[in-house]
Parts: sequence; structure tokens; C-alpha cells
Amino acid sequence: MGLAGMFIPLLPDAQTILLTDSLQEVVVTGTGTEHLLRDVPVQTEVITSRMLRHYAGRSIEDILGGLSSSFDFNENDMGSHLQLNGLGNAYVLILVDGRRLHGDNGGENDLGLIDPNNIEKIEIVKGASSALYGSDAIAGVINIITRKHRQQGVMLENTTRTGSHGDLRQHNGISLNYGALSSFTNFQLQHSDGWQNTSIEAPSQTEYLITDSRNMTVSRHTNWQIAQHLGWQLTPAVELYADGSLYRKRIYRPCGHHPGVDVKTYDLLYNNASLSAGGQWKLNATDHVSLDIDWKRHAYLYAYTDTTLTEGYVNGYYTNYFPYFPGQKELQSDQRLTDIRLKGVFSLPYDQRLSAGLEYRYDWLSAPMRVKGGQVRDNTAAAYVQDEYSLHERLYLTAGLRLTRNEGFGSCLTPKLAAMLKLGDIRLRGTWSQGYKTPTPKELHYQYIRNMNGVYLYLGNTGLQAQRSDYFGLSGEYRVSGFNLSLTGYYNMVDHMITLVTIPTNQAPGELIAQYDPIRVRQYQNIEQAATRGLDASIGYQAGDFVLGGSYSYLDTEANQYDSENECMHRVVIDGTARHKASCHASWQHRFSERYQLGIGLSGRMSGRRHYQIDGDGKAYQLWRLNTSHQWGENIRAEAGIDNLFDYVDRTPHGLHLGTTTPGRTFFVSLSIRFHKGKKLSNKYITNLNSNQNEEN
Amino acid sequence: MKKISILMTAMTAIIASTVFTACDKSDDTQSNYEKYQQAVNKTVNKEKKNDKAILLVAFGSTWEQAYDTFDEIVADYKSNFNGWDIYLSFSSAICINNARAGENVDPKDYYDPEHWLTAIGLAGYKQIVVQSLQVIPGEEYRRVRDTYVKDFMNNRNGDFSDEYMKSLDLNVVVGTPLMAEEEDAEKLAVVLNNEADIKTAVQQGIVAFMGHGNPEGYDYYGGNVRYLQLEQYLRILNQNYYVGTVDMDETYVDDVLEHIKGGIFAITVGDVVKTMTYLPNASTKAQLFPLMSIAGDHAHNDMADAEDEESWFSMFNAAGIETKAYETNFTEACWKQYKSGEEYIPALGERKAVRKLWMNHTTQAIAKLGTEEALSTPTTAPEE
Repeated sequence: MGLAGMFIPLLPDAQTILLTDSLQEVVVTGTGTEHLLRDVPVQTEVITSRMLRHYAGRSIEDILGGLSSSFDFNENDMGSHLQLNGLGNAYVLILVDGRRLHGDNGGENDLGLIDPNNIEKIEIVKGASSALYGSDAIAGVINIITRKHRQQGVMLENTTRTGSHGDLRQHNGISLNYGALSSFTNFQLQHSDGWQNTSIEAPSQTEYLITDSRNMTVSRHTNWQIAQHLGWQLTPAVELYADGSLYRKRIYRPCGHHPGVDVKTYDLLYNNASLSAGGQWKLNATDHVSLDIDWKRHAYLYAYTDTTLTEGYVNGYYTNYFPYFPGQKELQSDQRLTDIRLKGVFSLPYDQRLSAGLEYRYDWLSAPMRVKGGQVRDNTAAAYVQDEYSLHERLYLTAGLRLTRNEGFGSCLTPKLAAMLKLGDIRLRGTWSQGYKTPTPKELHYQYIRNMNGVYLYLGNTGLQAQRSDYFGLSGEYRVSGFNLSLTGYYNMVDHMITLVTIPTNQAPGELIAQYDPIRVRQYQNIEQAATRGLDASIGYQAGDFVLGGSYSYLDTEANQYDSENECMHRVVIDGTARHKASCHASWQHRFSERYQLGIGLSGRMSGRRHYQIDGDGKAYQLWRLNTSHQWGENIRAEAGIDNLFDYVDRTPHGLHLGTTTPGRTFFVSLSIRFHKGKKLSNKYITNLNSNQNEEN
Repeated sequence: MKKISILMTAMTAIIASTVFTACDKSDDTQSNYEKYQQAVNKTVNKEKKNDKAILLVAFGSTWEQAYDTFDEIVADYKSNFNGWDIYLSFSSAICINNARAGENVDPKDYYDPEHWLTAIGLAGYKQIVVQSLQVIPGEEYRRVRDTYVKDFMNNRNGDFSDEYMKSLDLNVVVGTPLMAEEEDAEKLAVVLNNEADIKTAVQQGIVAFMGHGNPEGYDYYGGNVRYLQLEQYLRILNQNYYVGTVDMDETYVDDVLEHIKGGIFAITVGDVVKTMTYLPNASTKAQLFPLMSIAGDHAHNDMADAEDEESWFSMFNAAGIETKAYETNFTEACWKQYKSGEEYIPALGERKAVRKLWMNHTTQAIAKLGTEEALSTPTTAPEE
């Protein structure tokens, strides 16, 4: 069987594809080309639509953390604190339909930009994928595949999910498909009243024992987004699109009693927008060329809730005492990205498939009071090529190379090599890939203060070096109909890893020390050597109406930093890492009649102690969730469930690290209604890439 | 079909127009500053009883013990400077914001020196003393003198008439910090050695003071050297005294522990190298005191935090010296919540005798008013 046999035709045979067995799952993230999951040359983890339905997650954090043991989160006002196999969000590239999620706060993407009710499936490729995707992809790539709506006519859908702590997830979709034109409008709203797991502050950080703190574990927040997609099938071979979106988020921060502890004088606001356009030209059944142009904005503002003095200018003079009043807003940072990508995929002789592309990326950061001069910019251009080659009917090779040129850090080549050996139903895969990541404008130039039981000064560092990584992964997978087992060992070594480190105050600019008198100064610095190594295991079993699955991750980290004062290497912890993590899920679904179908899902996740450099370790935890789903006909679906069944709450005082920020046992219900008027798609157009039906397949 | 096309175009137009008009409107910065100024003016107009004002300038704090200490300092000034209106300002914007918004203490309008001075000027005060509550003539003091007062005297924002500015000639003086001159360090040494709690502690073992200090390269006015001078004068009185700092190079806690072991140390302070000689000290007990006007974050965290391995308390104890960071026999505690007999960290500003030294500097500043002395630079030059 040649390589061509591995590729899925763009309009696959309906009978094959309608099967939902994981053998037929198609993935694209690992190589940028379509492959059956069982034969993909690069180990890929998939959170399938069925898993998503039975889990009924409230957010992307909930879904990833609950369904894969490789992830961990620690949601707070400053972000989700995503970690993939020990490395933080700054090393994880998050894509939505292949396009990068833009904008960060302290390296954390705003995951509220992803509508949890519009996800078809999630593909996860661990390890460096810089050759294909450029910087960020050092720990891995998460590709969120959204649901596609290709039915002719009008489709309206509404999903409302509500739960404890005022939780509301609203999703509305309007799809219009007429001839060559298509439109999809997506609205989502996410809201939580927030919660407080403890009102006690860490006694070691406060003047006296404070038991009436108003600091929240997770603050009340609301975000909404409206996104518009327009498609035009210009000719059978040429498809064009234009997208736009708007997003707003507000994090409400109550003001407390204690000046040094829980007083807040502003809320946090996020203001995003995006515009995209592009198209794809199919040259023949396997070859195509695509062009994508993205412009994205992520602005971060303070919305003042009380009179606040801060830095500013009056009559052209700088002052430390510029006042803002309740109701006023002040821009903290505005990150804008322009990204242009040209890509071609071509079949070559001897069963080869070649992907080649050019990318240009322009980053612009405006932060009037946080960056010297107010603005910084960064230009990166890259060219890459990847060849997939079937050397032998059992052996597949993938080789990639990327040349990146950054205006501040010069050029760098990042290679990738992957091999897969097929032995019956067993797949053995090996990967070596290099990663390359230049410091972000924020890591280089941004400085700010945070008042959190004392003033913390955060500093950028213009002396930072680019980071390089070497990832080695070996995996074995056994996948037959109804059963799969995989084991992956990896070693990811990051040279000059950039991380926030607490530095002696005498190493910070004296002017800032005199101005703020911080209790701690934290600065982005290159760590000399950092490595994560671990083992990921997963198992899945399906028999009739039952599906069982589980995953386990073992992680060991090592990071060393040069201590210039004592002239020695000093071992540091990679914040938030836990040695052992596991997740499991079991679901049962049964069609009682044509009119009613029941599904029950039970899932659990566990984590060992999470380690941090300062402010204590996070406690070990385990959380369980029970979800029931009820389907009436094709267009009405309801879900009800209990999250955190055993009511586990981490009540560690504020100021110290938590293992998990879960509020304890919560309840949720959800209702989805869909209306469709128009010609139904014939089976031949339904792929399991867009199996967006509410009904179980 | 046509209708659908129109609908799609309309949707795109709506989204695009919203995206391009989503820019934030800039605030009217001038009116914000003026609005805040008016609130400060109102406070001054309400408080004004005399034509002479003393503006005390401290860095500020978010600790309740510190608020009560500042209250005591202001009360002391009020009772010792009849005929003068006393105002207190914080130079830290964060401390001002939090003190104002916190509900557990009475809302406190400390305001910043910039707005205070403008309000004082607009209220028509005829004589003004700006008194630094800093310990050394370091970077914070430099800002008091060279930024706040200078901007005020230069009428930077054009708030005052030429006539008023002329009337202020020789009538605005800066009161110097606690250890402005070397002789102040000597006086402070005597005062500290006479404090009952310190006297008791030094008879039982080591007494180590933790000052703040300026970072290396930021010691413009030779302020840091005062810590070494104070230590020298204290050690003349008792060899159990040591002085270190949080930010001044070569006087960190590990340096202090080296000094306790004994030896000759050449300490570089700005352009000066000061040689300090310490005999080995075999004491196994120590008491820590902050050498700061108030006891806030530094005193409670950097000095006394038992959970922080790098705090003075932890480092001293780890060095085998049985050390206490709190005491129970301080009789002048300003913190209203404090109950006698409980553990306490006393700050310099809570010691009446030390407050007297600051007030002496204010008295000296007042004496300069109306004389040519008012034009002199009220601090020291770097050591020769």
C-alpha cells in the first residue's frame, strides 16, 4: 500500500466515513495534511465529538483538563495558566481551525475566545512542531476544530447551559447556505458569578490573621463574542472566505476591607477584534494552494471602580499621580498581529507528499505606561518545507525544515524528523524535532506592577536570548476496532528557557525600586537548561453502547539557573508542574426509540502535588463528573450533570498556590435546539470532520 | 438568492464597521488632574487655620500599624508646632489608592506631595516647610527635594500668580531626613541606645537593625553611608550593635552575619570606601529591629518572616544565633489593635525620642525661613 492510500480524499466515501470508530478519525494537525488517525505519521491525541458530548464541558479549560491527563490549569484573574506536559501556555500553540489564537496576558491566551459549544473536536500534537507552525509550538499544538455547517438552506441553533455560581454559557448559530455562498454567524456568551473558596489570607503575608478577605478564588466575569464567516465557492476548485469577530470580556473585582490585601480599584477589560480573508485553490484531487491573511487585536484595559492614581502625563509632563475616576478606562496594552500565510500541498512521484509555505508575521504592541516609548514591534518571516514519504509499505517518513528570520534575533533553521513503522495493528512512531522561539515583545520590553499582599514589580528583559528546544518522542500504539492502547515517552530539552524568576531587588533598576519599593521583583530571564521528560499512556475501549478510556501522565522536570552572586547553578522549579496526573472516562449511550436516546458519562481527573518556586505548592486533588444527555429526535438535546461529585474544595488561604480552583460540587443543565429549513446534505457530503449533528451517530 | 447575498453583505458591513469603530476614546486628561486637585484643595481649605504649613512626606504603607504610626507622628507635630497646619502625604501612589479605598480603616486621604503642594499654594500659605520622613538622604528624599518642591517652586503647572510665587521667595524650606548629616547618625545612636527595649536587648546579646538603603548606583547623595556611620556610633556604645539594610550593597543580611563573625571589611559606598572593623561576636542570642519610620512589609516580611528562608529571622537562626524579630516589652506601640504583652515590631516613628529628632530638623528648617539660609541645599554632599 502506497502513501496515497493513507490520505483521505477530500470528499470521502460516505459509507466509510459515517462510521464513528476511532479507526476512521481524520486528523490534520501533525503534518498539516489529512490522515486517518491510526496511520498518522506523527502521534496525535484526539478529543472526539463523542467525548465532548458526554463530557459536556463548560469551557475549553474544563474540557482539556478533564479529558486529557497531559493538561493542567489554574484559572484566576490573570488567565487560565494552561500547562501541557509541564510547559506553560507560552510554549503551547493554540490554533482554531489552523489559525493561531492571539493575545496574551503574562503569556496566557484568553481561552474565552473559544466557544465551547462550537467545537467539533480537538487535536493535540505534543512536542515541538516549530517546523510547521513556527514559534510557540515547543510543548505542542492544540488545534480546535470548529463545527462546520454545510447544509443548504437556513439553520438556526441555540444552546443554553446554566449551572451553579451563576454559570451561563450561551451559544447561537445561524447558518445560511445558498448555492456557492455560505454564511455562518456565531454568538457566544460566557458568564460566571465567580466564587470564593476561602476568606482567609495567608497569615505569613499579612499583618494579622485576616478571615474576612474579599479576594475571590475566581472572580465574576462575563465575556461575549460575535463571529461571522462568509464563504464563496467561486469555482469548483476555488473557495474564498472572509471572517470577522468581536470579543469583549470584563473581570469584576470586588473591593475589600484591607488596604494591603484585598483592595481593588479597577476591573479588567479585554477588547478583541479580528479580520481574516483567504482562499484555497484545488489544483487536483490531492494538491492545493492556500492563502490566509489574519489581522487580530487584543487590547487590555483597566476599568476603574474607585479613584486611582497612576502614571500619566499632564501638560506634557510625566507624573506618578495621574488620577482616574470610577467609570473611566485606561489602556494597558494593545497587541496587534498581522499574519500572512501561503501554503501549497503537492503530490510528488514515489508516493511523496510535499508541503511548502511562506509566512510573514508582524507584531505590534502599544502599552503607553508599560513599555519605554509606548510602542514596540517585531517582524518575523519564515519559509518551510515538509515531505511525507513512504519508504517502504511499513515505513513512513516525514521530514520538515523551517527557516525563520526575526528582525531582532536573526535566522534559524528548525528541522523535524518523524518516522512510523506499521506492524499489523501496531504503530511505532519516533520523532525528533527542534523548536525555536524568540522572546515576545512583552518578554523583552513590558514592565508592570501588581499589588497582591505587597507590591510585585515585573520586568521585561532586553537581554533575553532566543529559546531552542530539542524534542525526542517515541511511542507505540495498538489500535483495532473498539480498542486502542498507546504509550509515549518523551524528552523535551529547552535551551535558554524564558521564565519569570524572582531576582534580588538590587538587580532591578534603582529608579523603579525607589518608586515602588516592591517586596519582590520578578523578571523574565533565560534559564540555562530546562528539560521535561515523561511518559504518557492512554487506553480506550468501546463495546456496543459502552466506551471506556483513561490516560496517565508522568512528568519529571529539571531546570537550572546560573546564580551570578554565588557563581553556581541553582536548580529551580518549573512552576505548576505535577509529577503524576491521570484522567478517565466511561460513557454509555442507548437509543430507546427513534424519539429518545440516553447517554450517561462519568469522568475523573487526578493530579499529584503541583510544585512552585514561591508561595507554597498546590495540593493534590481528584475531581469526578457525572453527565447525562437526552436526545429527542434530531433537533432537541438536553444535558444535566454534577461536576465535582465528591465536593472537593482546596481551601488554601489566598496568596498561596492552589492545586485546583474548583468551587466544589456544582450542578448544570443545558438545552440545545436546532432548526433547519432547506435541502439536507446527502451522505456523500458528511464527513466526520464536520459531523456537527446533535444526534449521536 | 439575491436577498441572501444582501443579508450576507449587510452582516459583513456591520461587523467591519463595529471593528473599525471599536477604538477607545481618550479621556480628557487635563480635567481628571484638575478634578482631583479640587478635592485636595477642598481638604486644605477645610483644614486651614494658619498661614504656615508643614507638609510631612513619607513613602507610605498599606499596613494598619503604619497608619496608626503616621497618625501619632501627625499628632506629635500638631502639639509641637502651634501656629502651623500639619499635612501628611504619601509619595507611593499605590499606598494612597489602597488607603483611600480600604474599608477596614477610616478612609484616609493621604494624597501625593504634588497635589498637596499645589493645594497649599492655592490656599495662599505664606510659609511652607516640606519635612522628609525618610531615614537617610537617599533617592526618596531626592525626589522630595528635586522633584516635588522644585516643580512647585517652578510653578510647573502654572497654577500660581507671579506675585504669589515671588512672595514665597525664602519662605519654602525642606526639612531634612532623620540622618541627614553624620552628626545626626551620632545623635540617633545615642537615642536608640537609650530606648528601654533596645537597651535590655543589647545587654543580652546582638541587636541588629534593618534599614532600607538605596540600591547600588542609586546612592546619589551619599545617604547610604549613614548606615555605616550609625553602626560605628552604636558600636562605640556597645559592640553588640549591627546595622544592615534591605537594598544597600554589602550590608545585606548575609553581610551582617559575616560582620558578626568578625573581620575587617572594606565597604564601597558610592565613591567612598569605608573600612569597618568587627571583632568576633560569640553571642548566641539576637534581637532584630527595623530602622525604618514605620513597620510594614519590610519589617514583617524581609526581617521577621519565619517562613521565608531568606528573611533576617531565618538567616540569623540558621546561623545558629537564637534570634527574635518580635518583642513584648515595647511601651509606645502606636497600633491601636495592639494589646500589651503581645508580640510587636516597633518602628522608629513609634519612638517618641526618635520623632523628636525629626522634629528638630523641622525646627531647623523653620529657623531658615525668611533668611538666605532658606536657599541652601538642605542635605549633605557625598563623603569626601
